[in-house]
Parts: sequence; C-alpha cells; structure tokens
Amino acid sequence: MASSVTEPRPSDSSPAAGAAAGPGGPTPSVTRRKGLSEKNRPLWLLIPGGFLMTIVILIPLAMGIWMSVIDLDQYSLRRWVSAEFIGIQNYIEAATSSDLLRSIWLSVSFAVISTLVTIPLGVAAAVVTQNAYRGRALVRSIFLIPYVLPSFVVASVWRTMLQPDGIVNVTLTNMGMDGGLWLNGPNAYWTLVWVEIWAAWPFIYLLALSGLQAVDHEVHEASALDGALWWNKLRYVIFPYLKGPVSLAFLLATLNHINNFTLPYVLFGAPAPSDVNVLPILVYVTSFQSFRFGLSAAMAVVSLILIAIPLFIYLRAVKLDVHDGGKK
Amino acid sequence: MGMSKPRRLGAVAAATISVLMLAACGGSGGSGGAGSGATGGKVDGAGKTLNVLMNVTAQYPQEQQAWFKEMSTKFKAETGADIQWETFATANDEMTRIQTSVVSGQGPDVYGLGTTFTPTAYSTGAFVKLGDNEWNQLGGKDKFVPAALGISGPDEGNQIGIPFVSRPFVMAYNTELLAAAGIEKPATTWDEFTEQAKKLTKGDQYGVAVAYKDNFDPWKYIWGMSIQAGNPIIDGSKVRLDDPITKKAYDTYFGWVTKDKVVDPSSVGWANPQALAAFAAGKAAYFPMTSPLSIPALDASAVKGKYKYALMPTVPPGESSNPSGGKPAASILSGDNLVVADYSKQKDLAFAFIKMITEKDVQLNYFKVFGQLPANQAAAKELASNEIIAPALDSGAKSVATPFSGAWGDVQLSLTNVVVQSIPDLSAGSVSDANLTQRLKDEQAKSQTALDRAKK
Repeated sequence: MASSVTEPRPSDSSPAAGAAAGPGGPTPSVTRRKGLSEKNRPLWLLIPGGFLMTIVILIPLAMGIWMSVIDLDQYSLRRWVSAEFIGIQNYIEAATSSDLLRSIWLSVSFAVISTLVTIPLGVAAAVVTQNAYRGRALVRSIFLIPYVLPSFVVASVWRTMLQPDGIVNVTLTNMGMDGGLWLNGPNAYWTLVWVEIWAAWPFIYLLALSGLQAVDHEVHEASALDGALWWNKLRYVIFPYLKGPVSLAFLLATLNHINNFTLPYVLFGAPAPSDVNVLPILVYVTSFQSFRFGLSAAMAVVSLILIAIPLFIYLRAVKLDVHDGGKK
Repeated sequence: MGMSKPRRLGAVAAATISVLMLAACGGSGGSGGAGSGATGGKVDGAGKTLNVLMNVTAQYPQEQQAWFKEMSTKFKAETGADIQWETFATANDEMTRIQTSVVSGQGPDVYGLGTTFTPTAYSTGAFVKLGDNEWNQLGGKDKFVPAALGISGPDEGNQIGIPFVSRPFVMAYNTELLAAAGIEKPATTWDEFTEQAKKLTKGDQYGVAVAYKDNFDPWKYIWGMSIQAGNPIIDGSKVRLDDPITKKAYDTYFGWVTKDKVVDPSSVGWANPQALAAFAAGKAAYFPMTSPLSIPALDASAVKGKYKYALMPTVPPGESSNPSGGKPAASILSGDNLVVADYSKQKDLAFAFIKMITEKDVQLNYFKVFGQLPANQAAAKELASNEIIAPALDSGAKSVATPFSGAWGDVQLSLTNVVVQSIPDLSAGSVSDANLTQRLKDEQAKSQTALDRAKK
C-alpha cells in the first residue's frame, strides 16, 4: 500500500478537488496531477469494497482460524463463545489421526491432472472455433453444454450411467470387455477425473477464446506476409498471446477442481470410498456428520496454507498480479 | 496521514468484528429463560406467530402444503396464533439451522427431528426437557405408543422428543414367488431367511433385493443383527464394533452376495429405491428394510396385490433363538420426534401446537395422506385391523431404540463406512477376513474416540 513521505494536503479530498479532477476537465495543472499520484490516491473510495471484503472474507477467515484453536463440537456449540481453547491440538489431530494428508494429496493430484488434460482440449476447441465457417455458432453452443449444466445434474447423469448395471457397463460387455466397478474402488479416482474433465474443459475453452479474440488483425496479416505456415504461426505467433489467459485459466481451474464438492458428493455419496475421499468431502463429513467443527476448521486452515504456498510461487512466476502502468 | 488511511480501514474492520461478536454473544446469552409454565386451560396466542421447522416430504409436496394450511387454520381457531412453516430437506440442512439458531438464540420454536438424529440434538442442550408439566400440556404420556418414546431422551427423567410419526422397518415379500417355491411362511430367523432366499433364486430372479450402496440401509442391518445377538454397539463407555458378534453380522450381510449369491450382483451399486424397483418388477422375492411408505410405489407396480409385509427376522445369524442378552429387535426405532427450542419465548403455544398434531384424528388423517404411522396410541390401535399395515405396527411395537448417545452419529457413520469401503471386495466376489477385521479395527478406533468425547 501507499507509504508516504511528504505531507499530503487535506484539500485534495475536498469536493472542489474531486470535481476538478473529473473527466473532460481542462488540461490538469501540475498540482492536479500530483493530486492523482500514488501518494494521494483517494483511498477512502475503497471503503465500500473494503467493508464488503471484511464481512465476506476477513471475518469468516478470522472466525475459521479462531474455531480451529477451540474445542468446538456439538456439545460446546451452544456456548461457543466459551468453548475451551486447545491451541494446536486440532491441528495435531488433523495431521496425525485423520485422513487429511491423504485427502490433500488426492485433491491436489486430481485437480492438477484434470487441469493438465483440459488445457490442450480447451485451447484446441478455441482454435477450431476461431475462424468463421458455416455452423460455427452451433459448434460453439454445443461446446458450452457441459459448462452450463449444473454440477448436480452432471454428477447424477454420470452416476446413473456408471452403475454396475448401467449403460456404460452394458455397452462394454456387449463389446466383450468387463467394465467392473466405477463408483468405488481404484477406478473411482479416474471416474472423478474423467467427469471433472468432461464438465470443466469449456471453462478453458472460454478463456482461450477470449485470448484469441484479443489477437490483432494486423498480427495475422503480418505472419501471413512472412509466409508462416499454420503450425509456426500457431506456435510462435498465437500461443504467446494465449499465455496470459491460459495461465489464469490454469490457476482458476485448478482451484475450482480442488474446491468442487458437489461432483464427488453426488457421484459417490458420503462417507466416500477411500480412493475419492477428497478434501471437501472430508471437511464436510467431519463438520456435518461428526460435528467436529473445530477439527474441520483446522483441516480447512491447513489445506488453505498448503494450497496458498504453490499458488503464491505460481503467481510470482507468471506475474499475473503485476499490471503494466499500475504505478506512476 | 498517508499511512492513516489503511489504518482507518483496519479500525473499521475491527469495529465491525466487535459489533458482530457483541450481537452474536448478546443473542446467545439473552435467551434460554424458563417457560412461563402451563396455563392449565387454553393458550391464548392472539397476535403471535409460531415458527415450525419440519422435514420436507419429497414424495408429496402438494399434500404437505395443503396439510400445513389445514393445520394453520385449525391452530388459529384453537389459539388465535398463526404458524410460520419452514421445511428442511436433509439432516444436514437441519443441523445447519439448529447451529445458527442455537448460536444466535432465535429461530424455529418447534423442530421435527428424525429419531436417530434426536441424540445429537439432545447433546446440544438446546431443547426443552419434558417434565410432568409439559407432558400434561401435551395430553399425557399415555397418549403415545410406548415404544415410540424409546428415543425421546437418554432416560425417563431427561426426555426432549415428543413422538410424532413412526416409520418402522419391515420386509416386503412376494406372495406368489414364495408360494411357488413351496414356502408357507416368511422367515423369522436370519439363517432361515438365507435358506429361503437360496430356494427363491433362479435365473434372473433373486431371493433378496438389498441396497448395499445406500447411505443408511446397511448400518440398520448390522445394528439389528448385533443387538439381536446381544451387542448394542455402544455398551456403556465402550464401543463394540470389533466384537465377533458384529463381524458375524457383516459376514452374513456380505455373504448374500459373495457366498450365497441370493442377491443381484449389481446391487453393490444400488440405493434403496433401486432395490425397491427390483422388488416391484418381480425380480426379487424379499425386500427387507422398507416401510409402509413403499405402498404407493408397490401398488402402482407389477406386484400389486401380490405382496405383503412381515417382520424382519428377529433371531441373529447362527442362532435358532435369541441368546441371553439379545433383544428380538424387529427394527430400529424409526420416525420423527418433535422438540421445542429452549430459547423459544412462546413455549406454551409450542406445546399447544404439538398437542394438536398428535391428537388421534389428526394422526389418522396424516397416515391417510402420507402413509406415516401414528405415534398416537389410540390412532395406532384403530389401524391394527388393516392387514397390510398390521405387521408395520407390530414392528413399531417391537422396535428397539439405537443407543442414546451424542456419539451415535459417528458410530452410524463407521458402521456404514465399513460397507462403503468393502464394496470393491463385494464386487470382486469375496471380502477377506483380514480386510474386514482391519476395517472394523479402524472404525472401532474412530467411534471410540467419538464416544470418549461424549463422556467428557
């Protein structure tokens, strides 16, 4: 945030100064430019947003952290204010005698695999629908179907199809293959990955498409004049444009996968088979079937930290948080 | 001053937090006063509104709305008060409501609770304990089916739940298929049940329809067979999940797929409605763990007029009579209880409402519309002559309450989880002794931890 050395002038935030700095005003004088510098930005304008962020994010976060250090369960819920403070005991229990670490591993690996598969699919779909041709609008609409279907519906339909006597196994049997069990056992993990990919790739497609749309017409012309063939053009001209949107898509999609509760819950139910006991399911069962609110808060905090570390490194690496011209 | 702006934001945030905290604390501290006591005569509720939270009946949404309306009118005529109805869809929804209400000290005055959820609700300490005074306001304890009171509280002196409806479990059997196999009477012991099921299995017809993948059915089988052999699972301060009795129950339950082959192999992926569908299609001779709620579905199916209900076997596997300590439990004690919130400021009105909906006529009407059995004794007696319903009423009278412990939710979860994790083995054709023993050991540890917390 702003740290200032010089003394700002109080008149900057006066109505007169605000009006003068409005659009369409005369060429700003030196004083006025100073008024818009980083040092004297009208930060008070952030108050409404800051207030909302405090209520929606900061307070729940603080309460979550607080809950994780008290012994809050069904017995102490009624007197939650005076629930016993137990320090890091919840954390110790989460790390040593619960499935937390395994669940984090399952969640992260599932999310990364799903994202890595969906990115080429999404980018390819975006490239395919970039140039105009007959029926492109239809293709684009069809591509969006998995994305607009509610997660609950997607999961219900796949669950029905993947029953032991469901349509998938019947088809496989007719083809002379043994389908086996999809919704429990080791296959369940890959079922989860598969259905997630099916439902989530249009998100990458949308972001990649927006990236493609941002490529200037001149760039296409220039590469055509230089005689670049389609692969070279794609590889050296178009893909660099997609780096930003696709990096963002990678980040958001991975986080979405990790946070997806509906899909595993509807597909497998709770308690979940151990191969798909992903983080949201574990926290749900701990909270709402075992009523260990303190323990589940500790789980949530641990996973937040574990996910925040690579996220932070990634953000630094792709520089999504730095804008050109952000500073004066 | 340039630094002071972020600081000011911080101050705003801090102030907001403290205001919210104060509001929340004030809310939870300022309630919980004792009720104003029975007025003896009629409760005057003019100008008041009673807030009631009930389980949504997904099968009959319109009928439920109509029933709400009818009860509101009746209640207005009796007390002058209005009713604000709310519904919840799952126990989880309800727990969330209870959580927020308990923490803030405001919310519904009356809650409908599933019986097995009552111990958890009790453990929050947020509901009115029923003394003589309260029972009198309700029209006396004698008004209710005695067995239905079995899960109102941990003991007679500490009851919170007022029985509203009963949904005892029974098994449906296909009269034609049993007759064709030369079986005169449905089985009364689990061994006999398995033998009959073998006889009834041929071609694509199976002896039993079982929902192994259901989130609730499996633990009811295991608990039932265990209590019949003398293991209540929660025994004082000990959980007995790794007991040989319970292991035998799992062996029997799994054996129907792996050894006896009397169930459709696909049933490892079935929930209760799929098992019901198999029975309704005439593909299975027995369908245990159902209730009279399945009547509408069965009457609209291929087995209409060809099915009856019977008690599930009450003698545990490997025995010909209940061993000492074993209870001939026909079903878990199942149904809905009503509880009154401790923070409610209109408890008299709440009890007047509960009295009204547990009267004989209202209960009989409720059965007619929704198929849920009355908890009112006089109403239950009147239905006893109905041939289809009679076994269910009998099962209700012979049902045994699950242990009244705040840890029951965890134990139930553990019982179910053993089945969930065994499904790949079931599908492959056998659950090895080592695997089952290990799973029971793991779940035993988890459940014992939960019970230890409950004892604190």
